[in-house]
Amino acid sequence: MNDNADALVLRARGLCKEYGKGEGLVRAVDGIDLDVAPGETVAVMGPSGCGKSTLLHLLGGLDRPSGGDLWLAGRSLSGLGERALARIRRDAVGFVFQAFHLMDELTAVENVELPALLAGRSPRAARRRAADLLDRVGLADRARFLPPALSGGQRQRVAIARALVSDPLLVLADEPTGNLDSEATLEVLRLFDSLHSAGQTLVVVTHDSRIAATADRLIGMRDGAFVDETRLTGGTTGSLGALAGLEG
Amino acid sequence: MQQEVVLAMLAKEPSHGYELRARLRQALGPLGEAMNDGQVYVTLTRLEKAGLAASEQSAGLPDRPDRKVYALTPVGRQRVAGWLAEVSWPKPDLAEFHLKLIAAAAARLADPLSIVDAQRRELLRRLREVQRAAMAEPGRSAAGLLLEGVVLRLQADLHWLEACERTWTTRKDRS
Amino acid sequence: MGKVLLAGRLAARDLRHRPGQAVLLLLAITAATAVLTLGLALNGVTSQPYRQTRAATSGPDIVAQLGGPAAAGPHGPGQGSAEPQVAGQVKALVRAPGVTGHSGPYPVASALLRVRGLSAGVEAEGRGQAPSSLEQPEVTAGRWVRPGGVVLERTFAEALGVGVGDRVTLNSRPYAVAGIAVTAAEPPYPNLCYVSGGGCVIDLGPQSPVADGMAWVTEPDARALASPAAPLSYFLNLRLKDPAMAPAFAGKHSSTVGFHPAGNAQLIPWQDIAAADGLLVADEQSVLSPGAWLAGLLALATVTVLAGGRMAERTRRVGLLKAVGAAPGLIAVVLLAENLVLALLAAAAGLAIGRLFAPLITKPGAGLVGTPGAPSLTPSIAGLVVAVALAVALAATLAPAIRAARTSTVSALANAARPPRRRAGLIVISARLPAALLLGLRLVARRPRRAVLSAASIAVTATGIVAVLTFHATANFKDSGSSGLGNPVLDRDEQMLMVLTVVLVTLAILNAVCSTWATVQDTRHAAALARALGATGRQVSAGLVAAQLIPALPGALLGVPLGLGLFAAANGGGARATTIPPAWWLAAAVLGTLAAVAALTTVPARIGAGRPAAEILASDTV
Repeated sequence: MNDNADALVLRARGLCKEYGKGEGLVRAVDGIDLDVAPGETVAVMGPSGCGKSTLLHLLGGLDRPSGGDLWLAGRSLSGLGERALARIRRDAVGFVFQAFHLMDELTAVENVELPALLAGRSPRAARRRAADLLDRVGLADRARFLPPALSGGQRQRVAIARALVSDPLLVLADEPTGNLDSEATLEVLRLFDSLHSAGQTLVVVTHDSRIAATADRLIGMRDGAFVDETRLTGGTTGSLGALAGLEG
Repeated sequence: MQQEVVLAMLAKEPSHGYELRARLRQALGPLGEAMNDGQVYVTLTRLEKAGLAASEQSAGLPDRPDRKVYALTPVGRQRVAGWLAEVSWPKPDLAEFHLKLIAAAAARLADPLSIVDAQRRELLRRLREVQRAAMAEPGRSAAGLLLEGVVLRLQADLHWLEACERTWTTRKDRS
Repeated sequence: MGKVLLAGRLAARDLRHRPGQAVLLLLAITAATAVLTLGLALNGVTSQPYRQTRAATSGPDIVAQLGGPAAAGPHGPGQGSAEPQVAGQVKALVRAPGVTGHSGPYPVASALLRVRGLSAGVEAEGRGQAPSSLEQPEVTAGRWVRPGGVVLERTFAEALGVGVGDRVTLNSRPYAVAGIAVTAAEPPYPNLCYVSGGGCVIDLGPQSPVADGMAWVTEPDARALASPAAPLSYFLNLRLKDPAMAPAFAGKHSSTVGFHPAGNAQLIPWQDIAAADGLLVADEQSVLSPGAWLAGLLALATVTVLAGGRMAERTRRVGLLKAVGAAPGLIAVVLLAENLVLALLAAAAGLAIGRLFAPLITKPGAGLVGTPGAPSLTPSIAGLVVAVALAVALAATLAPAIRAARTSTVSALANAARPPRRRAGLIVISARLPAALLLGLRLVARRPRRAVLSAASIAVTATGIVAVLTFHATANFKDSGSSGLGNPVLDRDEQMLMVLTVVLVTLAILNAVCSTWATVQDTRHAAALARALGATGRQVSAGLVAAQLIPALPGALLGVPLGLGLFAAANGGGARATTIPPAWWLAAAVLGTLAAVAALTTVPARIGAGRPAAEILASDTV
């Protein structure tokens, strides 16, 4: 467990985020320590309002912490200016939201290529990469569809493809299956599984136990702090048949 | 009524049969209406026969199970400890798990939260296995459908366990 | 009753929720109503102070200007020869049917007045020290005529910068200023010669200055001021049985006084004098009228932009209200209540401001008695202003409200905004541009209606600024004929122009602020998403500025012809000359407008970029 600190994709020490003052002070995130090794899938679970989404925003540079330190691939984010942070958001981190946040007037492939265009890549290179990724998530035939014409699961897969377009070190997913039914959830689960096999580092915030069950590490969060951590290794104490009601 | 449940209810202190019955009724709330009163006394008698509990007759009262005072034997106490630590989940028996938590809290034998946590972890492991199997199934196969059913039930149970965790945390904070 | 209260509560809650927008709306309508109030108050001023003066001075119904060089007769100019002829004319006029009284004839000498290096022509009327019952000028400072003393008409004295006790010379003779007075028998300086017949009574020949002002001296002094080159003429004041018939009387009896084109002798009905007074106000009106129009238009555009910008929010609120069972009538009331309340507040504020400033602007030529104060703000004016304010608010919010009410409940709740438009061509083009322009172009493309609105409001802004510039250019041109003396009328015109300029520019700025602010609000979500996907705050701000400048450019260019046209239309509909401002002024106006738009967009954009993207994404819909 003692990874070389530089080999860690993500390292957080004492991360805090506070809102309000005095009587109305709210500690959304209260002293979080987290290490994420390359290729790991980490799931953070907790009741609503426990601060897990806020934590994810801090990890992804979408929000500035009130205290604590954060290192991404060995590089400290604490003293960085807005422009440098933006570059990091562009190149090192991919974000997946619960509400998908696709632009409704852009086709799937145009949505996916957007971060690459913002990063200054040539339109042709960006388009090619976007098409590749859509193929990888299994939506090559829907590349020219607008989001309203896609199902929820398909939209989220487009969003995941968009998060991958700049080959990020880390993908952060905020309740990725929150708006999806169980079949769409399975689609996303398959995708996460294939990403995991390909070595992508993934931090997921969820209260869907299906996603949590696929993680390497499962961290429980309550009231802004981590309360426990589980590694779901090892066999089970019952046969699969018994689970389905078959007498074993 | 599971033998272990009745045993565990005795762990707090020796009690009369009717006292035990009343406590069970109260712990089960509305569902307690469905409880078969006679079952409790039958189980108590069986436990006594198995040597897990011992009875004492209150002076001056007839020799009937509801008037006897029952207490745990050392073997019975061991059995209770083992049962508390068990994480098997053969089929949904919510009442049993619910009473397990209550008994553990009342007798201060174990922290209900750690019982819940252990059970959660177990169910998550099972969920993981089933999900792997489900993802390996192609498209909409029949087996995949069955596995989907198992997954959804496990999910439901996990939701309930999360609720248990929340409630028991609050009870702990309050006491 | 409960429903009305509920509607009121909902409206109040919404206003408190978005105070910024409410304030902007309030300011816009207030500016418009203030200008409108001033315009209307000025309108009511026209004949009132003149009537007051007429009443205070027992003003005449007809002023007969007799004698003068043209009436000198065959013996040539000379004091003696004119007298008998004048006497005959006087007798004829006094005996004419309909005449119930007269005063005079008073001798009038034209003289040259010099004081402190200034010189001006004067018509010096000789009067007795005892007050007359018809046409007795009202002394507002000092005392009436005495030997060696001269009483000056008030505006004239103001122009000369002279007060009671100062020493002046008339035809090189020393006099002291005995007093200041106002009269209803002559138009005040500088409109002395504006009477309908044209020209002044006195023709002093080419060497003498044009008679500029009115003065009174004792009769002996007046006779003494006459000279063979500048003989006396006479003023006779008549009172008629029916004052309304004065113009007819004047027309009928002009022949009696030997009216002929070359001469200046004439009969002047009091209505003409009133009109000459009114010219003062008409000039001011010509400044205020286009200004009021512009102000109204700008206010309407501002309000429309603001109202249109809140479409998404409003549609959702309508959906919510419908879902809980509110009747369409109640919904309409709630929707319109906010804007109407603001309109009422703004109307009240505008009326108050108008009332405060009206006396300054509508102070009539100092040559008239009395200032309109409270009387000018009649209930009818107040009612009209309130009605206009309400109409502006109503017009701007009615269309969106109706559309919102027509949308089905489900779609209103589910998709609170109109979905963004897709323009494949623009999307392809923008892919080749740097990040800021990419964002800007796509932001414009996804909301074409907002872009058109932006262009329209910037056009109105630019129109206002160009019109003001044209104003200044024209006014300057008019000014270059002054005689070196102060011209209070022109001064006041310039003051009003300044006031109007300030008001219009403020409105224009408000308009631009509303437009840019609405754009930034509207694009909040897209901007936050762009930041989440890796655009820097600076790129996003630049993109927003680009998104605002793209429609602003045609708008600003359009403002140039519109502004010129609007001013020409308002400036007497082409009857008076309009000077086109120099080209570099117009270029500066267009560039200045664009620069202001860019600056005004940058501020809210930067502020928005300071907020964490996650917050905005979590709280907003598309």
